[in-house]
Amino acid sequence: MKINENCVGCGQCASFCKKGAIEVKGKARATDACIDCGICVLYCPVKAIEVLV
Amino acid sequence: MKAIVIGAGLGGLLSAARLSKAGYQVDVFERLPITGGRFTNLSYKGFQLSSGAFHTLPHGPAGPLAHSLKEVGADVKIVRSDITTVRVPLKKGSQDYEKGFKDISFTDFSTLLSHKDRLKIALLIVSTRKNRPTGSSLQAWIRSQFKDEWLVKLADAFCGWSLSLKSNEVPVEEIFEIIENMYRFGGPGVPIGGCKGVIDALESVIAAHDGKIHTETEVLKIFVENGKAVGVLVGEEAYNADLVISNLGHAATACICGEVLSGEKDSGYLKILETLKPSAGIKICLAADEPLVGYSGVLLTPYAKRVNGINEVTQVDPGLAPPGKHLTMSHQYVAPENVKNLEAEIELGLQDLKEIFPNKKYEVLLTQSYHDNWPVNRAASGTDPGNETPIPGLYVVGDGAKGKGGIEVEGVALGVTATMKKILG
Ligand SMILES: Cc1cc2nc3c(=O)[nH]c(=O)nc-3n(C[C@H](O)[C@H](O)[C@H](O)COP(=O)(O)OP(=O)(O)OC[C@H]3O[C@@H](n4cnc5c(N)ncnc54)[C@H](O)[C@@H]3O)c2cc1C
Ligand code: SF4
Ligand code: SF4
Repeated sequence: MKINENCVGCGQCASFCKKGAIEVKGKARATDACIDCGICVLYCPVKAIEVLV
Repeated sequence: MKAIVIGAGLGGLLSAARLSKAGYQVDVFERLPITGGRFTNLSYKGFQLSSGAFHTLPHGPAGPLAHSLKEVGADVKIVRSDITTVRVPLKKGSQDYEKGFKDISFTDFSTLLSHKDRLKIALLIVSTRKNRPTGSSLQAWIRSQFKDEWLVKLADAFCGWSLSLKSNEVPVEEIFEIIENMYRFGGPGVPIGGCKGVIDALESVIAAHDGKIHTETEVLKIFVENGKAVGVLVGEEAYNADLVISNLGHAATACICGEVLSGEKDSGYLKILETLKPSAGIKICLAADEPLVGYSGVLLTPYAKRVNGINEVTQVDPGLAPPGKHLTMSHQYVAPENVKNLEAEIELGLQDLKEIFPNKKYEVLLTQSYHDNWPVNRAASGTDPGNETPIPGLYVVGDGAKGKGGIEVEGVALGVTATMKKILG
């Protein structure tokens, strides 16, 4: 997945990622633990997460 | 009669509860899989963090939101917090907390002034209740009355904590309205269960009156016929209604109205929308075994570089953290020019916390920032353009359309009450 410039850094995605794969500091960043399940995409309030196909 | 509510944030759900209770057939459409918008809980490492708010109602169990919740029959217990305190340096003249500090009660703020200024404050407290100052920012008004920078620092901490603004961005009229509301309703309180306690209670009311909440359902367009709002587009399906309430703020609502709002007659409204500035802020969530604040009241920190204030919600509801743990959250205002430097701003906030809590052990759980399309406040307090739109049958609720003098969710509640008065009489 890719996090685009819409991200405000609210951390909502991090709380729904079951792999603990998102770090947030002003913006979100996926770590190596990300398995591209796409769950976080649904929870972003500003459509900042894109699934890569 | 049918009503459609776009967005299941606090304003949307409160409106849905009122309308369903009044006999409307209500459908709420929410884009996300969760309801509550910026006012619900986020489970994180066993803690109940939040999607926005500090699990706090600015006027506690007696404020406008508490009143609205009672009115619709939403069952929420709201506990009044201890008195607000202010952390000040131990040594007079010190500009930070490095060489020690003490906490004083907010109501004792004038004890740090000169004898002459203390007298002046006492007089102003009486005279301004009759003759309210107007026509300037809070900061300009303070500077016109006093030469003491302590008052400006305190005003910045208060405005930063409660409005995510600086005192030079807040109209003095708005602050005096807020002060009046403090006299009227008292200080903050925490709902048991946190923000979600409020959201769950509202959803029960809506369900009990056969209202429906559809999650993962984005509204793409608002339909307008003969100049009146008549429904919305969801996916490829059109839903009709006699009334449309938008919880998205005025600007985002205008966007999904499309070309209907482009005519010359709407240019005044559209111009106002261009001037609306959402306010930005940063919340830092801390976990600790021993309490960091030690009481349920807000701790204002006017001598920190960035952090404006802190609360420890587990002092009221221990259920917001795992057994034996505390959840402590700080808030800091972010100036518009610093929105592009959030990482550096967060770093300054983290340094502040080290100074505010020296020798204390805590873990930084999560840093959360808010601005632009997901802000602290969609319309900076005192600039809200009301709940009506140029389109009859289309109303806006939420923190982009707060009532006067209403801090955050209290303003949301006042705005919903005003809207319902227009609709239900
Ligand atoms: C860091 C922070 C701290 C805060 N602290 C406090 C506090 O302690 N006390 C307090 O009183 N207030 C506080 N606030 C403010 C408070 O959280 C907000 O004022 C309040 O939650 C705003 O509610 P709202 O009704 O405007 O709805 P919002 O929360 O903005 O909800 C709008 C909803 O609409 C949905 N939506 C958007 N577009 C569409 C669409 N096209 N179709 C369908 N659904 C859509 C969104 O997903 C969202 O769920 C804080 C805010 C922040 C960010
Ligand atoms: S939920 Fe969206 S805006 Fe919030 S931190 Fe994650 S990607 Fe950024
Ligand atoms: S795609 Fe799945 S694993 Fe990766 S960050 Fe999002 S929720 Fe976590």
